[in-house]
Amino acid sequence: MRTIKVTVNGESHQAEVPDHRTLLDFLRQDLELMGTKSGCETGDCGACTVLLNGKAVNSCLVLAAEADGKEVLTVEGLAYPNRELHPLQEAFVEHGAIQCGYCTSGMLLSAKALLDEIPRPTEEEVKEALAGNLCRCTGYYSIIKAVQAAAEKMNR
Amino acid sequence: MKKAYVTVGKSVTRLDARDKVRGVATYIVDMKFSGMLHGKVLYSKFPHARIVKIDTSRAKRLPGVKAVITGEDMPFLHGEALYDTPFLAVGKVRYMGEAVAAVAAVDEETAEEALDLIEVEYEELPAVFNPGDALKQGAPILHEKLGEYYHPPVITPVPGTNICNHTKIRKGDIEKGFKEADHIFEDTFTTQMTQHGTIEPHAAICMVTPDGKLTLWGNNDSPYRARREIAVALKIPLHRVRLVGAPYIGGNFGGKGGLKAEAIAIALAWNYRGRPIKIVNTREEEFTSTVVRHPTVITLKTGVKKDGTIVARQTTCLWDTGAYAEKGPTVSRMGGASSAGVYNIPHVSIDSYCVYTNNQISGALRGYSGPQTAWAYESQMDMIAERLGLDPVQMRLKCAYDNGSVHAGGQVLSDVTLKTCLNKVVEAMKWDKPSPLTPYRGRGVAFGERFIKTPFASSAFLKINEDGTVDLISSTSEVGQGGETTMCQIAAEELGVPLASVSKASPDTAYTPFDESTTSSRSTFHMGNAIRMAARDAKEQILQMAATQMKVPVKKLTIVDGNVQVVGKPETATPLGQVMRRRYGASGGVLGRGFYFPDGLAPEGEYFTFNCIFWMYCAQGAEVEVDPRTGKVTVLKMVAAHDVGTAINPKSCIEQIAGGVSFGIGFTFYEDLIRENGKTMNPSFLSYKMPTTMDMPPLDPYLVEPHCEQGPFGAKAVGEPSSVPTAPAIANAIANAIGVRITDLPITPDKILAALKNKT
Repeated sequence: MRTIKVTVNGESHQAEVPDHRTLLDFLRQDLELMGTKSGCETGDCGACTVLLNGKAVNSCLVLAAEADGKEVLTVEGLAYPNRELHPLQEAFVEHGAIQCGYCTSGMLLSAKALLDEIPRPTEEEVKEALAGNLCRCTGYYSIIKAVQAAAEKMNR
Repeated sequence: MKKAYVTVGKSVTRLDARDKVRGVATYIVDMKFSGMLHGKVLYSKFPHARIVKIDTSRAKRLPGVKAVITGEDMPFLHGEALYDTPFLAVGKVRYMGEAVAAVAAVDEETAEEALDLIEVEYEELPAVFNPGDALKQGAPILHEKLGEYYHPPVITPVPGTNICNHTKIRKGDIEKGFKEADHIFEDTFTTQMTQHGTIEPHAAICMVTPDGKLTLWGNNDSPYRARREIAVALKIPLHRVRLVGAPYIGGNFGGKGGLKAEAIAIALAWNYRGRPIKIVNTREEEFTSTVVRHPTVITLKTGVKKDGTIVARQTTCLWDTGAYAEKGPTVSRMGGASSAGVYNIPHVSIDSYCVYTNNQISGALRGYSGPQTAWAYESQMDMIAERLGLDPVQMRLKCAYDNGSVHAGGQVLSDVTLKTCLNKVVEAMKWDKPSPLTPYRGRGVAFGERFIKTPFASSAFLKINEDGTVDLISSTSEVGQGGETTMCQIAAEELGVPLASVSKASPDTAYTPFDESTTSSRSTFHMGNAIRMAARDAKEQILQMAATQMKVPVKKLTIVDGNVQVVGKPETATPLGQVMRRRYGASGGVLGRGFYFPDGLAPEGEYFTFNCIFWMYCAQGAEVEVDPRTGKVTVLKMVAAHDVGTAINPKSCIEQIAGGVSFGIGFTFYEDLIRENGKTMNPSFLSYKMPTTMDMPPLDPYLVEPHCEQGPFGAKAVGEPSSVPTAPAIANAIANAIGVRITDLPITPDKILAALKNKT
């Protein structure tokens, strides 16, 4: 067991966690933030993607202890404090980039990491940034379009 | 003429979209209850073995363990078409993904630890891993008691063999047909084992009270069908079983029906009563122990005239259904019926065998046999065209079903749109112009067809609330397909209220009325019709009230945008809520009822009839480039034209086609669950490759929208056929590009290279 201090979606948390606790389990089980999804627990599907100090990570492959002293952003923290949707969320809604929704939170956070780094990505850059996030429903077309539309809007 | 609709036909935003992007849409994996226990499963170590002894005593003593069960504790059989499946193995194991024991404990870690303490002694039996071998004389028999299993009459197992269904269809005189033919071509096509790969795994929470009342929360696509399976298996009445659907399901594609994680949750809860027990599959369990698409071997012997007329076709289909029947009998039945293709052929002979092997269980996967049968008949179509020196498009247009054609299963077809779909595809591909494609580039097309399971019922209630808003009460599951939105659109349109006034919650067999299933692309049509009837019923009641209040005949009243008004007099508009308040005060409301069943298509009691309420048709085209040095195929473009009837939500239909094509791409090129002696070698997303953002070709999707007379607002269906023609269209394009024909899926670079080498 060890004590960690993590800021999640702007809120600081101090918790006792077992050494082998993953960040994914810490978020879902300890903090009960269920928006982050588990799809494989081996880092292959990207459903559990969150931002750790701004960088997209598979939270199933990160230990909670590694997040000690760091900032985590999950899908619950993506919308603005006044409950307005983030432009990426808006674009996903508008472009129908959602079917079952299970990969959506991971997709959104991978996309956020991309736009934070490259505000005007090419289609190829969007594809590359999302290549680690599996979606079984959409064929990705509308997701790629949505990310590009969000980038467009955020640069306006 | 097409009517102008307010909500139907509009690409409205999905009603679940905002919750899903906020991460507040709830799935079964997110649900928990106080006192909830966690279950884990011990699987078989052998593909086929007798269980000599199971010692659970050490596991039972582990602190935190509440229950350890084996098949002996659960002496019941369940199944979707044939009741052949124990909840956990009894007496013997038939595949390596089979549950041998299960543990319920205070947390997952303890349950897992307990699994290591269970000792099982096996006596290995000879095993069989492909359907051809399983049919041979002297093959190991998986189900010695096949003849004793309960099944509906439409399923025809052959006791004493590994055949759990044999569908035999004869039309005309096949021998006479072959005699009339100028050429006879015989080719065999094979397909591999693939998996649904929904990102959300199977999961369930079950609680059984000490008196035997069972509640199951889960992501089952079809709560009523599953309830029937549970009640029949456990020999208890239906009302003692309640299925509650989680608000949202993270993908389905045919994989979340029947009892998967549910079976284990039920078995544990049945034995350890009074506390909810949760099962969540790992990804490995998804690949090894749920359900996969049937690997197939399909042989087509086809007699043709010189001009391309097909006079006779004999098909032999082997479906590797694995250790238990699941949907195999009906997949092989409907797959058999369509295995001769979508063509006018006077003499047809079909034998479709669903065969047990010691592999994991096969069932429905997006297309319900369509991808396998189309792979055979649409590949052979191009092979024949090439041998006869005919254009493959012209040959298809010459032979394809029209209105009035007779399906191999006997139905006289109507609303046939194959040629419209193909014409749309070839127009988009500029087929009539000489191919602009350079060497190593090619183009190909293929038809797709799918049945709608018939006859099955759907029902719905429409609760008009005191304020005039509407709760749509229907057991259609939102699995990602957009059913919630489509159903609300239909309700809003028929009732005459804004879409924003309608909400639909998830199924609960205690409250939402009967629906057979959210499968087979049946919901828009069947549930849509039920909802329309419920809306008409509610509307009639409200208009009756308003007629009295407004002192005008009912006939003169209508509902527009949530207001009752005299036709043509918008100034009389009175909100629905006000009409009801005038009648009932603060209390009250109106309940509309709808029940739809396609009568008259099959003898009473028969189901999965070959006489379908309608068939789905489509065509796809592919342009490819092959690298002759590496064997790598690049799909330059896919074109897809699908007859959906009236598109209730066009954007949603396009999304279904896009998703279907991505399934088709994976099926064509790389998805392949590899087994060695019954052991799955690649049960992970790392080693089982599915399409990513990097793999999708440009796609031109087209909706073909003929008005379907019996459909709600003219709608048909979209999801199932969307990946049916993809693989043969691509294979035909590859053959066109490099002159080699691949007949066994997936089309890997090494197969291309080997074929190129053989050619030279």
